[in-house]
Amino acid sequence: MTALRILIDSLAIGSLYALGAVGFTLMFGVCGILNLAHGATMVVAAMTAWMVAGRLGLGGVASLPAGLAAGVITALATYRLVVRPIQQSRALPEAEKEIFILTATLLWGILLREAVAYLFSDSPVSTPALIPGIVRLGRIRLPIDKLLDSFICWGAIAALWLLVNRTKMGQTLLGAAANPRAMTLLGHDLARVYRLTWILYGLLTGLAGVLLAGILGAGSAQSGQLTASAFTIVVLGGLGNVYGSLIAAYAVGTLETTTAYLLSPQIRSIPALLLLVLILYFRPQGLLGRR
Amino acid sequence: MACRSFLGSFALVSLLLVGGGSPLRAADPQTIKIGVIAEESALPGTGISKGAQIAADEINAAGGIAGRKIELVIYDDHSQAADAVRAFQRLVNEDKAVGVIGSYISEVALALQPWAQRTKTPYISTGAASNEISRIIHGDYAHNRFTFQGWLTSSALADSVCDAIKGLLMQKYAIKSAVIFSEDAAWTTPLDAEYANCLAGLGIGVAGHIRFAEDTADYSPLFSQAEDKKADLLVVGLSHTGIQPIVQWAQQQVPLPMVGILSQSTNGTFWKDTNGATDGIVSGMGFSADGVALTPETQPFVKEYTRRFGAPPPYSAFPAHDSIHALARAIAKAGTADPDKLADALEQTDFVGTVGRIQYYSADEQFTHALKYGPGLVQNPFMQWQKAHQVAVWPRAATGAEAAFPAFIHLAPR
Amino acid sequence: MWKLLAVFLLLAMVPWLGSAYLLGTLTVACYFAVFAMSWDLLFGFANEVNFGPTFLIGAGAYTAGMLNWAGISIAGSLFGGVAAAEVCGLALAVPALRLTGPYFGLVTLASVLLLQQAVIIFAPFTGGEIGLTVRDVFSADPETNYWISLGVCVLTGVVLLLLSRSSVGLILQASSQDRLAAAALGFNVAKHKIAAFSISALFSGLAGAMLVFYMGAASIGTVIDISIGVQIIISAVLGGRRTIFGAALGTLALILAGEALRPVGEIRTFLVSGAALVAILFFPDGLVGQASRLWRTR
Repeated sequence: MTALRILIDSLAIGSLYALGAVGFTLMFGVCGILNLAHGATMVVAAMTAWMVAGRLGLGGVASLPAGLAAGVITALATYRLVVRPIQQSRALPEAEKEIFILTATLLWGILLREAVAYLFSDSPVSTPALIPGIVRLGRIRLPIDKLLDSFICWGAIAALWLLVNRTKMGQTLLGAAANPRAMTLLGHDLARVYRLTWILYGLLTGLAGVLLAGILGAGSAQSGQLTASAFTIVVLGGLGNVYGSLIAAYAVGTLETTTAYLLSPQIRSIPALLLLVLILYFRPQGLLGRR
Repeated sequence: MACRSFLGSFALVSLLLVGGGSPLRAADPQTIKIGVIAEESALPGTGISKGAQIAADEINAAGGIAGRKIELVIYDDHSQAADAVRAFQRLVNEDKAVGVIGSYISEVALALQPWAQRTKTPYISTGAASNEISRIIHGDYAHNRFTFQGWLTSSALADSVCDAIKGLLMQKYAIKSAVIFSEDAAWTTPLDAEYANCLAGLGIGVAGHIRFAEDTADYSPLFSQAEDKKADLLVVGLSHTGIQPIVQWAQQQVPLPMVGILSQSTNGTFWKDTNGATDGIVSGMGFSADGVALTPETQPFVKEYTRRFGAPPPYSAFPAHDSIHALARAIAKAGTADPDKLADALEQTDFVGTVGRIQYYSADEQFTHALKYGPGLVQNPFMQWQKAHQVAVWPRAATGAEAAFPAFIHLAPR
Repeated sequence: MWKLLAVFLLLAMVPWLGSAYLLGTLTVACYFAVFAMSWDLLFGFANEVNFGPTFLIGAGAYTAGMLNWAGISIAGSLFGGVAAAEVCGLALAVPALRLTGPYFGLVTLASVLLLQQAVIIFAPFTGGEIGLTVRDVFSADPETNYWISLGVCVLTGVVLLLLSRSSVGLILQASSQDRLAAAALGFNVAKHKIAAFSISALFSGLAGAMLVFYMGAASIGTVIDISIGVQIIISAVLGGRRTIFGAALGTLALILAGEALRPVGEIRTFLVSGAALVAILFFPDGLVGQASRLWRTR
């Protein structure tokens, strides 16, 4: 019974982690950017969804598109206001740009977090459940929403896979990830590719924010933790590798759940952190990363 | 290019000048300044500054202190201890504050304690529950006498929860065992210890003790464990967490009720924040629930706060209000700027505030300088969320509201 | 070099001009400047992401705090704090030799999170997340505290500046830009990296421990939390990377700006962060770089 519970809970939380991480890894894979405003983007999407559902009284169904829209807008704002100026800057040597993008997105994340805290206070809020109620599996009660969230996560990731592997747009993305210069030579508009990637990122991250807020609640105070969590999973899985992120997400989710069940809920995050350090020591490129 | 460079240089120089300058404020010699350190982005934090403002206005309307008006100087510390220390230094050195109140965060209160001593400025914390604050004062009274914990200690809070369980639940339901369920934080260590004590005193067995990390994302394992122990009740200590366990408790339809101290659930917005998941939660510190009238001061304060600020006061607003009054009375009583006399006068505080009769424990008692808890002194009212309202359920209000739990809760009747 | 002297003279005059509040702010700024300068030596030069300056700072601070709690004198506690920070610095240096870029960044992040968890779990020894209060402090006098912190800051600045211009600094830069070439030229990259880690840990740990004996308390929120690391990184980048002096300047600018804007209220952090972001976008050379440019074109 406990084993079954662990399995179900691990899958559920792992799926949420996976969705939160997938956008982050996509952004690095295609554009080479670690967006440290990731958690803040999720929180903005969650807050928007909550506000639309509750304050404006439009209910749970309208909250999802609102959250997605907020995610996309924030992502594009991050790109246009923060990342692109640095990428196009002539004053910076190429080697420096990475750390400037990191610092700038860090500051941008702080700005977003402060804005949310000012407008809404830092009290966390939860978005309404898409489908309330529970489903019984023997003695286990599973909230329908949790199950639904897992399906939505898998659906989103499957859609992403289809997009990347089966459409022309996706092939362009893969190409840009592998060799941007070659893509330019072949006549592709890199700017369009990057814009598209940011839109995808916004959709995935917005979705992750809204769903996570439904289960866990989201507030401005959590934006740092959400970024750290996504960063951990993505690097553990191998930067830029979506499959790696998925495996890492479920690994971390399972480790945390098992620790909470079998050892102690006080130390739930420690085995995952230790595993991380171990794996990075023996396999520095992450689980599925390339050297 | 040159224009951009000039503009940029101008911006840089201004940043440096603004950064380097220390604003000199001509202190108005007529007013008595009292400092307030609050966290404006947090709901309990805003309660501190707003509650203090109402108190200051009340005092000024009644003529001030010996003819001089009070002026509050309010600084935000962003929930960070280092920031609060700088705010404290500024209040004492620049603004010439006679006393400082503030912060509901124990970490911040502890960081300010040494500075109250160093600057010989009385400091009253408003809402921080950790036993540590008063323990340090008791342990080295001579070096800590300027700090007052304007709130109930964790131990007192735990005792009040047991009182509520006895009075509210044990009359109607058969409660044989409970699981203690708290976040892993410094304030819950003595809370849980006292829970174990007083529950045993009630004849309730402690079937389990779950302490979880504050960054827990998934509470299903914990609720499953609690259910497996076949307990009747979850006795709870949540302050830094709140929405997470409660939302999942409701979603998972855990058949054990949650009773205890759940600070976040006392926020007026909590029903909306959780989309109703908080239905049936019983929490102490429910000062602004419908029907709470601990003293003749309570309801007028709630009404004035709601009228002025558009929302009911969070729990921290009450100690903030009472602390300003305590400080004002002490200043009037001491009649001098001598800090030692001011501290003496504070120790003799005895008046009726919004949370009860305000007195501080003395140097010989265990929780030196904390608020005295007990009948006739400060009480802890318990409220329950029912149908989007906070309803006072213990002590029994005049309205006589009963506890009502959601359908998924299983409580055996007596 | 003499512009540094000018700044030093200015800072030395503060006790006569400023209030205890300004002295207090500058005292903390001096310790944070040490943190930022140590960060700059290692990562400003090595072009690597380091989220974990607070791993070293926190180790030094908490060890010193716990020792003093147990009854050991300030001097002994400081020594213990520095030793602990050194151990942690070497522990970080090991993965640093094998990992680069975001991978190393993640190890630094994980180290801070692990330290944080350790402090919470061993609460009976560390005080938990609300921190511990130490028995002794340097002094109750703001001027004394200021001189102590200024002294440490200047000492660190001079040492690190000299180091950065010595072979150690050059080799760090070279190995960050082209590791193979640097090794091929016969430089022992590993030895230099470990040396740089040790020195960075020494000063970070020392300043962290000293901060505890100034504040009278240590807690996760003051010496370990990731947000402190973020402040340090932003200060260093804002001030100008690879200049050591820039890190100190950036720290001073950010802390003073935050204090000067205090009357504005809660949007203070937003404004300061926004200004820092604009500054970084428009002036990638940082404050020091911009000042040099102004000086050169006058």
